[in-house]
This record gives sequence, structure tokens and C-alpha cells, in this order.
Amino acid sequence: MARAHRVAGVAALFITLYTLVFLQTLQVPFIERNTVDEVLPVIPWWLLVLFGSYSLWSLGWGLFTFRDCPEAYHELLSEISEAKNDLRGKGVSVD
Amino acid sequence: MQGQFASNDTHKYSVILPTYNERKNLPIIIWLLAKMFEENKLEWEVIVVDDASPDGTQEVAKQLASVYGEYKIVLKPRSGKLGLGTAYIHGLNFCSGDFVIIMDADFSHHPKFIPQFIRLQKAHNLDIVTGTRYRSTSKPYLTDATPGGVHGWDLKRKLISRGANFLAMTVLNPGVSDLTGSFRLYRVSVLRHIITVTQSKGYVFQMEMMVRAKALGYTVGEVPITFVDRLFGESKLGADEVVSYAKGVWQLFTGV
Ligand SMILES: Nc1nc2c(ncn2[C@@H]2O[C@H](COP(=O)(O)OP(=O)(O)O)[C@@H](O)[C@H]2O)c(=O)[nH]1
Repeated sequence: MARAHRVAGVAALFITLYTLVFLQTLQVPFIERNTVDEVLPVIPWWLLVLFGSYSLWSLGWGLFTFRDCPEAYHELLSEISEAKNDLRGKGVSVD
Repeated sequence: MQGQFASNDTHKYSVILPTYNERKNLPIIIWLLAKMFEENKLEWEVIVVDDASPDGTQEVAKQLASVYGEYKIVLKPRSGKLGLGTAYIHGLNFCSGDFVIIMDADFSHHPKFIPQFIRLQKAHNLDIVTGTRYRSTSKPYLTDATPGGVHGWDLKRKLISRGANFLAMTVLNPGVSDLTGSFRLYRVSVLRHIITVTQSKGYVFQMEMMVRAKALGYTVGEVPITFVDRLFGESKLGADEVVSYAKGVWQLFTGV
């Protein structure tokens, strides 16, 4: 079973539950019906906004913490010239 | 394994280096590899899979084989440019080591990280260790790992990379932070297994290998690496690559 199928399965479960509660076929225990009716319609939007802000934050944070490594570049350059000198001495064509 | 070993590491490490027009880079990457392996007293070989590069990569590879020995630098050329994925399969047929290291020949992957890959593999008996540009510590933790990073990328390139990575992380939850990187250490049997079930070609190949590894229950560790974008020759990243990347993520989402 591919990941897509598992994700689709879980999503279908939640959508069914949501619809049943929405259509009042299913009652939410311990919470007043009025409150449920108020909260329920905004849940999808809330999830959407939540995901959007999570995405933005995680992208921004990733970008901010993406490290530059100039030291690795300079180290590499000096290793390259060392390697070239050594290889030239051994008869390998480097330019 | 048989033979005499100067250290208590009785494994042999085979590096598969696919090359296409890497005449300038190949001697230096081999020099760096040889130096690192000798300093760490490891048994090693490099399998060079050259796809009939027109720039004379094979001539310089022959010179290197005569300098380092034909058992150390093993040339297994192919007659045409047949792609990166099949180059690994081809190289794998000739590996005599029990661990395989896959890397690019263009210095974006530095051999100095290989000893850390090996230490992490040993400490946790891992099947795969992959390099990551996105982490600052290794996973599982290793004291001598230093933060990863890139050199030569502007903000736009970094944003695309982060975005692509975020997409894959969210959709595939692969358990590793760098899916597209191709600097990895594999147990040879594990690489053989994964590569036979991997279907995609080109760009998606490296990603699929990691996603398959997780699905097959292999253990994967990560070591942060510094990535110096290719100094010679050009690296491509355009709209086409972005689209084929997104398609690849979707394929893996629905297929694995
Ligand atoms: N044998 C072989 N090697 C290749 C081929 N394409 C790319 N390579 C090599 O694979 C490595 C990565 O190349 P590429 O993905 O083009 O570079 P990037 O864009 O900088 O990541 C380099 O060492 C190339 O020389 C190919 O078709 N055949």
C-alpha cells in the first residue's frame, strides 16, 4: 500500500466523522450542541491557516538557518592546488 | 575477509564514481579519496564509470590507474551516456568491497566526511549513512560531526532548495532531511536490494532510493556535510528541473 493510500484512508476517516457531526447524526459528548455548531464550520479554515503558517515558518526558518560554508570552499581550493602539484609530479595530466 | 589490515577495520570500501566530462575534476577527487583512505588506514577501491566522455576523462583515468594501481582505480567505462542511475548499477557489478560509497566526482562531495560516515555506521550498525546539507548535527548523534551547509548558492537557489525539500518532507515523510543529495554510504547487499526495486531515472532516482530504504525497513543515519557547488562545469537548475522534481515527489507518494 502506497503512502498515498494510507493518507487517503486517514483523510476519509476524518472527513466522514466531520460530516456526521455536522449533519448531527453523531453527537459530541460533553460539549454543548451550540458550541459545536459554532466551532465546527471554522475548523477547516483554521486547519488551512495553521498549515499555511507552519509552511511559511518552516521555509523561513530553513532559509534563515541555511548555513554558508566559505571555509569549506577555501580549504578545497588549497587542497586542489596541493593535489595538482602532487599529481603533476606523478605524471598525471592536470591543468 | 582475507588479507592483512593495518587497522582494526576489516571492511573494504568501494567508491562508485560516475563521470561525464570530469577530466579536470577526476584526478583531484581521486587524490583526495586516496589521501583520506590511506590516512584512515582503510581498504578501498574506486570504480570509475565513465560514459564515453568526449573531453578525455578516460585518458586521465588510465593515468590515475597506473599511479595508484589498477586494483585501486578500476575503470569500467560504458560506450554512451546512459544516465546516472544505470551507472551505479553498472559500477555495483564490479565492487569487491562490503560497503559502497556513492558520490559525485565534481567536489560538491568532499571525501573528508567519509570517515564520519563510517564511524556512524559502526556505532549503530546502520545499513545506510547519508550526507545532509540541512542539519547541523548528525543523527544519531556523533561528537565530531560539524554543521552542514552550502557554498555558492544565492538566496533564490536556497529558497528553491528549501521549498523542494519542504515539499518532499511533507508529502513523503522520508525520515531523512536531505533526499536529493547523493553522497551516501551503503552496505553492499542493501544497495543491491534497493537498486533492483528502484524504478525512476535521473533526478528522482536518489529520492526513490531513500524512500524505498525506509519502506523496506533499513536503518539510515545522517551526517552533516558542506556542499561546495561545482567549481568547473555547470550545474543545472531551471523550471524543467523543478517540474520534474514535483512530478517525482508525486510518483513516490502514489507508488511507494
Ligand atoms: N557515467 C555517467 N555519469 C554521469 C552522467 N550524468 C552525470 N554524471 C556524473 O554524475 C555526477 C553528478 O552529475 P550532475 O547531477 O550532472 O551534477 P550536478 O547537477 O552538479 O549535481 C557527476 O560526477 C557527473 O560527472 C551520466 O549520464 N553518466
